[in-house]
Amino acid sequence: MEYKGWDEFEIGAMLRSFDGAIDDIAGTAQADRKYSENNSYKASVADWRVLKPVFNKDYCIDCQFCWIFCPDVSIIARDKKMIGIDMDHCKGCGICVEVCPTNPKSLLMFLDHADSEAELAAWPEKDEEE
Amino acid sequence: MLEIRWHSRAGQGAVTGAKGLADVISTTGKHVQAFAFYGSAKRGASMTAYNRVDDEVIMNHEKYMKPDYVFVIDPALAITTDVTINHKDTTKYIVTTHLSTQDLIKAQPKFVGKEVYTVDCIQIALDTIGRPIPNTPMLGAFMKISGMYDIEFFKENMNRVLAKLPQKIIDANMVAIQRAYDEVK
Amino acid sequence: MAFDKMELRDIEVWDGNHAAAQALRQCQVDVICAYPITPSTPIVEGYAQFKADNYIEGEYVLVESEHAAMSGCIGASAAGGRVATATSSQGLALMVETLYQAAGMRLPIILNIVNRALAAPLNVNGDHSDMYLCRDSGWIQFDAFSPQEAYDLNMIAFRVSEDHDVRIPSIINQDGFLTSHTAQGVHTITDDVVYNFVGTFKPMNDMLDFEHPVTHGVQTEEDWHFEHKARQHNDMMTVVPDKIENAFSDFEKLTGRKYNKVECYDMDGADIAIVCMGTSVETVREVVSEMRKDGLKVGVVGLRVVRPFPFAEIGDTLKDIKAVAALDRSAPGGAAGMLFNEISGSLFNTDSKMLLSGFIYGLGGRDLTKANIRDLYKELQANVDAGKVLTKQQQFIGVRGPKLAYL
Repeated sequence: MEYKGWDEFEIGAMLRSFDGAIDDIAGTAQADRKYSENNSYKASVADWRVLKPVFNKDYCIDCQFCWIFCPDVSIIARDKKMIGIDMDHCKGCGICVEVCPTNPKSLLMFLDHADSEAELAAWPEKDEEE
Repeated sequence: MLEIRWHSRAGQGAVTGAKGLADVISTTGKHVQAFAFYGSAKRGASMTAYNRVDDEVIMNHEKYMKPDYVFVIDPALAITTDVTINHKDTTKYIVTTHLSTQDLIKAQPKFVGKEVYTVDCIQIALDTIGRPIPNTPMLGAFMKISGMYDIEFFKENMNRVLAKLPQKIIDANMVAIQRAYDEVK
Repeated sequence: MAFDKMELRDIEVWDGNHAAAQALRQCQVDVICAYPITPSTPIVEGYAQFKADNYIEGEYVLVESEHAAMSGCIGASAAGGRVATATSSQGLALMVETLYQAAGMRLPIILNIVNRALAAPLNVNGDHSDMYLCRDSGWIQFDAFSPQEAYDLNMIAFRVSEDHDVRIPSIINQDGFLTSHTAQGVHTITDDVVYNFVGTFKPMNDMLDFEHPVTHGVQTEEDWHFEHKARQHNDMMTVVPDKIENAFSDFEKLTGRKYNKVECYDMDGADIAIVCMGTSVETVREVVSEMRKDGLKVGVVGLRVVRPFPFAEIGDTLKDIKAVAALDRSAPGGAAGMLFNEISGSLFNTDSKMLLSGFIYGLGGRDLTKANIRDLYKELQANVDAGKVLTKQQQFIGVRGPKLAYL
């Protein structure tokens, strides 16, 4: 964000979420909202990540645990179906993997530079001991 | 400038009395001031309240005063405290007591040689209002001694000042004011 | 409107607290969050009574502390309401943290401070310790010398603070007991006229505007904080003074009562003067008018606006005066008094040859008598005659024991 002089911003310890008016936030997808430059949506934290979650759709039961627990609102869901991860805002904390209840897990952590396709192809089998 | 000092116990209505008097006097175009010293006042603690009246706007906020009138609305205070402090030769005293003026002066030698009037505002309040609240009767006695206003004019205005009270209590106050006016000696 | 209007007589006998409560009613304050404390209690109690009697359409929120009271006011103001409260002394001390928040968030809250001493020792009577405690909190500060002024200045404060070019909260000070509990004649203004003067509240960046979501009370570190504080100070120094002047002028047109940032009485041709605040200004005025009749060239200056400090006006008023006494009603805690310092600052780097002496007086409600004031003028005259300050620069008035003098 650009640093401004004392006379160049609105008064008060106040920030706007959107540029202009918004009338149906709930009905507007994030990608379609006019976020202001102050909104954290515009700030990528992708480079904070050492490990990244990889999502395996084949085992997901759409329980929404990861969506609920993600501290950075980075699980993307549509119509109550998990469809992926917002990699601009995921910091790689691994909470989604911890809370995933399937066997094998539908989310696993890998080094950020790992090839996701290769990891999906080599996904672990069901753990029969459980 | 007319200055009045009230000696009272917290809860006997000296502040209300001082403000009521100020309110009535204000309707005649004069400038008024009514205030009090509380400290951390508890019911029964000795306290003083004050009135100033003048034709000009009153700007003096000092607490020090040489009063023209001293109202003592608690009977014991005339004996146990010095209500003549900061007096001048012309200061007049109106004291609530069951004693006659002569007996009061015998009981409190500081009153010797001073212009002292007595009236039993406590008994009057008990008889009329039903509670020992001696503030409004004291104002009736003051109207008599000072001749400041016609008693009917005063009662009419006090009616307005007391308007928030139940009618029965207002009526009792009017009787109390008139009785003190008639009985002060 | 869904509430009742109140018929007032042209002159009502009100104490300062009731006068302030009536002004809050007439301005139709939306929210009061309060934790009542002596001697300011009757202000918020009065609002609650008016609300219970259907004279106000608003909310009275009783909270668990003064800190919570101002926090509630901040929330209500950020939400988009006209907001006020009242406090004193220890209550204000607990509230101070949130005062800085309100000012920094640019929320136009009105706070009535009924000035009272700060413990220890515990004391409910009037001095200016609490006023001084929050003097750098970024609030506009007015000072009322009488119940009339407490009434008028509340309306003026709403007008100034709520202006979208200002959006800085205001404090109205009045002396504990000497104003707050002293009933005097107050010239009233009718409900409609008051409301038209302050106007309907115009929200700005309010949180209840759901089409324009905002975050209030954000965090900044060294990257942005200084710019915010600089903006706040700039607006205090460059915008607020004219807005106050305009409000004073419009109020005079409405009522004939003229207020000035620096109030001067008998200052024409004066050689010596006292500068003070609160009810002391009026008591000194009375002494001055008596001394003027004896041909003495004495005057008095009352500070109406404490913040933003009227630097230029004080300088102009005092530059040709030969000797001045600055009266501070607050224990200075190891320094010169605030007025002494501000007056010095106003005249330093000028050609003024004024002899300035500072006095600490009236702590915990100690009486300032007319005799004290006459003695003070005698001392100032002696300084003029000698061409120098004959005493130390800081003295105490009215304290028992050996004479205290410093600096």
